[in-house]
Amino acid sequence: MNTRHPVVIALAVIFGVALIVLAVVYWAEPAGSLPALIPGHEAGSGHHHVKHGIAAFLLGVALLIFAWFQTGKGKADQPTPT
Amino acid sequence: MIAAAPITYFQAIVLGLLQGVTELFPISSLGHSVIFPSLFGWDIHQNDKYFLTFLVATHLATAIVLFVFFRRDWIRIFRGMGRSLRDRGIAPDDYDAKLGWLLVVGTIPAGVLGLTLEHALRGLFASPQSASFFLMVNGLLLFGAEALRRRAPQTDDDDDRRIAKQVSFPESFFVGAAQALALIPGISRTGAAMGGGLVVGLSHKDAARLAFLLATPIIGAAALLKIPELAGSEGTGIRGQALVASLCAALAAYASVRFLMRYFETRTLIPFAIWCLAFGGACSIYFAVT
Repeated sequence: MNTRHPVVIALAVIFGVALIVLAVVYWAEPAGSLPALIPGHEAGSGHHHVKHGIAAFLLGVALLIFAWFQTGKGKADQPTPT
Repeated sequence: MIAAAPITYFQAIVLGLLQGVTELFPISSLGHSVIFPSLFGWDIHQNDKYFLTFLVATHLATAIVLFVFFRRDWIRIFRGMGRSLRDRGIAPDDYDAKLGWLLVVGTIPAGVLGLTLEHALRGLFASPQSASFFLMVNGLLLFGAEALRRRAPQTDDDDDRRIAKQVSFPESFFVGAAQALALIPGISRTGAAMGGGLVVGLSHKDAARLAFLLATPIIGAAALLKIPELAGSEGTGIRGQALVASLCAALAAYASVRFLMRYFETRTLIPFAIWCLAFGGACSIYFAVT
């Protein structure tokens, strides 16, 4: 899991931030106002997908934590299954 | 329109005890909660929001009991995770930190799928007939997990360290994904997670421990999300019953987790597999002919 490649870190940060933004969109906008390409879009619906937002937010935070670990000094453990 | 008392106190006590036992035994609490009211002829409709809200209160009680039972483990885990965040990495000998992040990785699939698909899946599969069928499937899964079990050598005397040494992050994700099967009423969360743990090489005792640690945040978070509904209009007429059921669930859950942690030191999932196949099969026949 410790790839330490700058591209991997950049991608994790970009997708992490994007998912947190998506979470805010889920919380702020009713299902009818979501862009059609976003899961949960329902034309004319006034329902807020709160749980979708929580899922996106937690995934985003997980990606940012992953990126944070990747920027460590290098003594981090690579999991070693026995 | 909701009747004045959709669930009686007697029903609440029975359902609370049932929930506390079946949530932690690998036999599906949701499946039994769907099947038993129909078997007893109770006028409780499993898809009604008040019933789901009622069940949530019992889930929260179970999660609190699990957290209290493993409180020393959780304190070690939280401290380890804090150290790893501070150091921006998991030190090779910091097994508490590794176990903490294993639990996070294992929680992701069940958490994301639960948050996005739970409502749709319950709507599709929350009938007693469906729950009976999937209870049989759960029995087959438990048999399968025993058959596919990988026997790895014991690597440490400490339970948590042993799990952290033995399980990799992809394997933890796999165990968490198996746990997501429990979104279908009739499939057991404990059974699926334990089955996943056995397949990746854990002993029965360690697989049970990992399953209970993985279950705590999922059950607790799912319950906390629904608690506002219990406080709102959907809790009208069932708050007292929900409180009584929660107390019963807590007592039953505590007795269950104590029993199971001893039971799995020496025994297997086979008796539970037989129960699921027999009870699920009998209920399938009963619901088909009535």
